[in-house]
Amino acid sequence: MSAPQRALLIAARELFAERAHPDGLAAALTFTGLLVLLESLAFGPGRAREPDVASAAFWIAVTFAAILVATRSFDRELEDDAIDGVLALPGGRDALYAGKVVALIVVLAIVATTTGLLSVFVNSLDVALGAHLVLVTVVGVLALAPVIVLVSLLALRVRARVAIVPILAFPMLVPQLVAATSGAAAALAGDATAALGWSALLVVFALVYALLGVTLTPGAFD
Amino acid sequence: MIETTAAPFPTLRLRPWLGIVAAASAAIATWMALVWAPTDAVQGDVYRVIYVHVPAAWLAYLAFFIVFLASVGWLWTRRPWFDALAVSSAEVGVLFTGVFIVAGSIWAKPTWGVWWTWDPRLVTTTVMFAMYLGYLLLRSLSTDFTRRATRAAVLGVIAVVDIPIVHLSVLWMNSLHQLPTVARIGAGPALDASMGMTLGISVVAFTLVYFALLIERMDIERRRQAALLG
Repeated sequence: MSAPQRALLIAARELFAERAHPDGLAAALTFTGLLVLLESLAFGPGRAREPDVASAAFWIAVTFAAILVATRSFDRELEDDAIDGVLALPGGRDALYAGKVVALIVVLAIVATTTGLLSVFVNSLDVALGAHLVLVTVVGVLALAPVIVLVSLLALRVRARVAIVPILAFPMLVPQLVAATSGAAAALAGDATAALGWSALLVVFALVYALLGVTLTPGAFD
Repeated sequence: MIETTAAPFPTLRLRPWLGIVAAASAAIATWMALVWAPTDAVQGDVYRVIYVHVPAAWLAYLAFFIVFLASVGWLWTRRPWFDALAVSSAEVGVLFTGVFIVAGSIWAKPTWGVWWTWDPRLVTTTVMFAMYLGYLLLRSLSTDFTRRATRAAVLGVIAVVDIPIVHLSVLWMNSLHQLPTVARIGAGPALDASMGMTLGISVVAFTLVYFALLIERMDIERRRQAALLG
């Protein structure tokens, strides 16, 4: 079995587990929905409709959700020591990172779509460039997942894991968050060039961190 | 297999001398910065903060680059010496990054009118500071030596990706921050010769202080490793 096949197998296993017990997805959807509502209320109806504010509220919600989903995913692995079985398999270490990233991207795509629609609905957002907004959202999710899985793996079996994952992830995610927020705001406001520029930057971040993760994480397990 | 013999690092023999030389050079640099260097025609005496700010910035970059090299060394060889170097350099690097940010803020208030602004370089430097605080926190929360060293080494390699972003952010984005004054592409230093010499001496003095602190901290870490690994 090739490395991509092993990664897809891990991703499928992860998604089947999530479908059987969708506690990570349910928690993330509930959390992001509540966060968007709270942020909209806190900013007030007028400000929450501004492209910059709506984009920032959306991406902060999605980032927190990504950490929730990833944490739940690794909790599941640790509950029955399933991760030891995966790591013991030939090529398991290499596949674990990529598989987890693929699964997180799929779950985050659902979360981002639902949260985005909720955000547009409750704030009556005017979307000037729908296709560009979808593009920014897709590449934004692609840029978030590699970092969050990487950090979750580094914090595996470490004390206070729930606290250390966001502490490590947020500083690394600052450039991605700025790019995703700016790109989404540009798409909402009708600036196609800026939306495409920020999307390209997000693709670069996604590639860099995915490459680092694939290269380094197998060595992180003794 | 972990090498458990805490063989002394050759540089440790220089320890007493390095501390004395570092203290003497720091005293000379302080005198030059406060007395010998002329007052700036535009900024007045407040510009003297650069004699702390710039060397601290250089050492923040150097310290984290050494963390990166030591992390690669650990991942490659699994020698505890590299782990001791990484954690020591990270701690000293965090210290100098803190000095770098605080000194910059002290300079910014009279010059820009604010203690803090969302300038890209300030933000990315603070992000770098937060990343290495996270690095130290990750280490402190792991009890198993090998796991701690390996995870920290992976993080030490990843975090270094942030350093070029910090350095180049002032050029990539529209920034309030002053453009490079000494290392300018295609031009000579835009700095008076005596100011440049003072800055050079300050950089050398701070670098010696960094190595003195690094070696002291490494000695502590090697003792801890010896106690832990037997």
